[in-house]
Amino acid sequence: MRSALLLAMLFAVVVSPAGADDKVKTDLYTVVDGTKVDADTFQGFRTWRAAACDRCHGANQEGLVGPALVESLKVLTKDDFKKTVTEGRLEKGMPSFSTSHMVMDNLDHLYAYLKGRSDGAIKKAKVELLK
Amino acid sequence: MKLLSISLGLAAAVSGSAYANQELAGLSADPNNWAMQAGDFSNHRYSELKQINAGNVNKLQVAWMFSTGVLRGHEGSPLVIGDTMYLHTPFPNNVFALDLETQKIKWKYAPKQDSAVIPQMCCDTVNRGLAYADGKVFLQQADSTLVALDAKSGKVVWSVKNGDPKVGAVNTNAPHIFKDKVITGISGGEWGVRGYLSAYDIKSGKMVWRGYSTGPDSEMLIDPNTTTTWADGKVQPVGADSSLKTWKGDQWKIGGGTTWGWYSYDPSLNLVYYGTGNPSTWNPSQRPGDNKWSMSIWARDVDTGKVKWVYQMTPYDEWDFDGINEMILADINVGGKATKALVHFDRNGFGYTLDRTNGALLVAQKYDPAVNWATHVDMKSGRPQVVSKYSTAQNGADVNSKGICPAALGSKDQQPASFSPKTKLFYVPTNHVCMDYEPFAVEYVAGQPYVGATLSMYPPPGEKNMGNFIAWDASTGKIVWSKPERFSVWSGALSTAGDVVFYGTLEGYLKAVDNSGKELWKFKTPSGIIGNVFTYTHKGKQYVGVFSGIGGWAGIGMAAGLEKDQDGLGAVGGYKELRDYTDLGGQLTIFTLPN
Repeated sequence: MRSALLLAMLFAVVVSPAGADDKVKTDLYTVVDGTKVDADTFQGFRTWRAAACDRCHGANQEGLVGPALVESLKVLTKDDFKKTVTEGRLEKGMPSFSTSHMVMDNLDHLYAYLKGRSDGAIKKAKVELLK
Repeated sequence: MKLLSISLGLAAAVSGSAYANQELAGLSADPNNWAMQAGDFSNHRYSELKQINAGNVNKLQVAWMFSTGVLRGHEGSPLVIGDTMYLHTPFPNNVFALDLETQKIKWKYAPKQDSAVIPQMCCDTVNRGLAYADGKVFLQQADSTLVALDAKSGKVVWSVKNGDPKVGAVNTNAPHIFKDKVITGISGGEWGVRGYLSAYDIKSGKMVWRGYSTGPDSEMLIDPNTTTTWADGKVQPVGADSSLKTWKGDQWKIGGGTTWGWYSYDPSLNLVYYGTGNPSTWNPSQRPGDNKWSMSIWARDVDTGKVKWVYQMTPYDEWDFDGINEMILADINVGGKATKALVHFDRNGFGYTLDRTNGALLVAQKYDPAVNWATHVDMKSGRPQVVSKYSTAQNGADVNSKGICPAALGSKDQQPASFSPKTKLFYVPTNHVCMDYEPFAVEYVAGQPYVGATLSMYPPPGEKNMGNFIAWDASTGKIVWSKPERFSVWSGALSTAGDVVFYGTLEGYLKAVDNSGKELWKFKTPSGIIGNVFTYTHKGKQYVGVFSGIGGWAGIGMAAGLEKDQDGLGAVGGYKELRDYTDLGGQLTIFTLPN
């Protein structure tokens, strides 16, 4: 699991120079023109919005009261990410989303979306569904 | 005989229940104290003290400082009763009693609260301060526990749970003592909390009444026949089911209308005044109707909670113009007539003047020229006339409505204004910020955020200042003068008989201006100021003080503000700019004139 993740990260780095059609495809996400994403990643964006993550992490994941996720996702492992979202970091003000079906059902998609933002592959916080 | 016994009974009832009130009225009438958060029942934030005045304020210097030990947003102010100062901190809501002679800590109260409440408060863990009466200090903790502490020892006299933090019902407001009751509200409009105002007995902590903001008449303590509102150009009964009729299904149960502002009290009318907040969610498409009585000004009988009158400022909110800002009770001339007025600077950008005896609408004018979401308030219906372009409901979900002024944090947020009975003017700390607002569908889950809109905030086009400190004439609804500030002015103002008006800035300056807005003095405190300025005397010497400690939505607003660059990765220009002036803090600074 861990090695698969590392592979995915490596893959993302390798592929990140955009191709002729400006498409980035990794194990986690597919992005076209920087803003059009695959259905799962789009679901991750919808989850980000529904859970009101922007209230603390900023509309562009740039950080407000909460840390800048564009930076955090460069160092946080996927397991750590899931643990943090599920259990929260209450002392620091990060809630537990364990009772939110939307978040719990879409943890992987949320990770993919935020990872895409952190990698720089997703150019804008607001994305569209790739048709 | 019968008549005599009735009047005797009345006298007994009055002397019993009015005791705390008389004590507090007496304490606040003595300008040497700062006995209430606003200095008095009327929310004037005015002091008769004039040792510090327009002629010598430029000589103010630091007398002493105190670190609260907490590095978060510091709203509200300490209280001063005699030779003791009582001060509070943001979460974990510690309370200190300081000896003004030695600045020594007499006692400290450190409540134990579940840290799960921190994220429920979302963007900052502010607390707006304490109340004092009957030898007790009252603290409204974040986890909704209302505590009465013995003012001499700091020991808990009683404590009561005011809400359920598990569903997001937490507290940031200061408790208010009116008569023999502690009046407190609730936060959680972004968690779908159904708002209410509660009154607890000052001696026992037993709940006396609770009036909800939405729902059946009986639970709001509304009488369809005797409770009135402004409609069709006159004061008239609200009629049956005035709230239920304005919601789809049972959405009122998670409909918001929270009550975390500053309340006021008119002893002669026996009424408590306050405002209710935004309807939940921020996505208007999900809650068609006027959503009464969110976004409203309320007048309730202090003893029974019964609603005398109610007026809705922003029916069917589409912008989060949370109507909780303070109600200032002022006796002024309106239209050439001596009026018992209620003046309110709403988040929606309109300054309202009402007749506080019956809720008649007298004046409603923009107190920031940038306000554009409505052309005006129709004085007959009392309804703002919404501009379609800025209607997030008309534009619909998943559409980004751009250039709406003011932003969600309003032309003014909770930072309280001051009224000077001497100049008859209101001194108002304001925000000068616009926004883009994109609502989207959201599902209610108890205890989870229930917001449903993405916002970005920035100064009005072509401008750089995100705040103004203004003087307002509530008789005519006109700005008398306006002093631009780089950032939102998020500090409660203080005016004095010494012809000086004080306020703090987000950069951390405490400023003094004269009655015409001319800056006379400023001093850079350790952190950004979102606290309220207060004054008192000790041993015949006047002091002025304020908390520093950047935070609250102001800090957030700054962070979000100036950030127009939607595609920027970590491009946080505005926040960086505020960072050029301040970092987190938690200090009280006390000023006085040199000997």
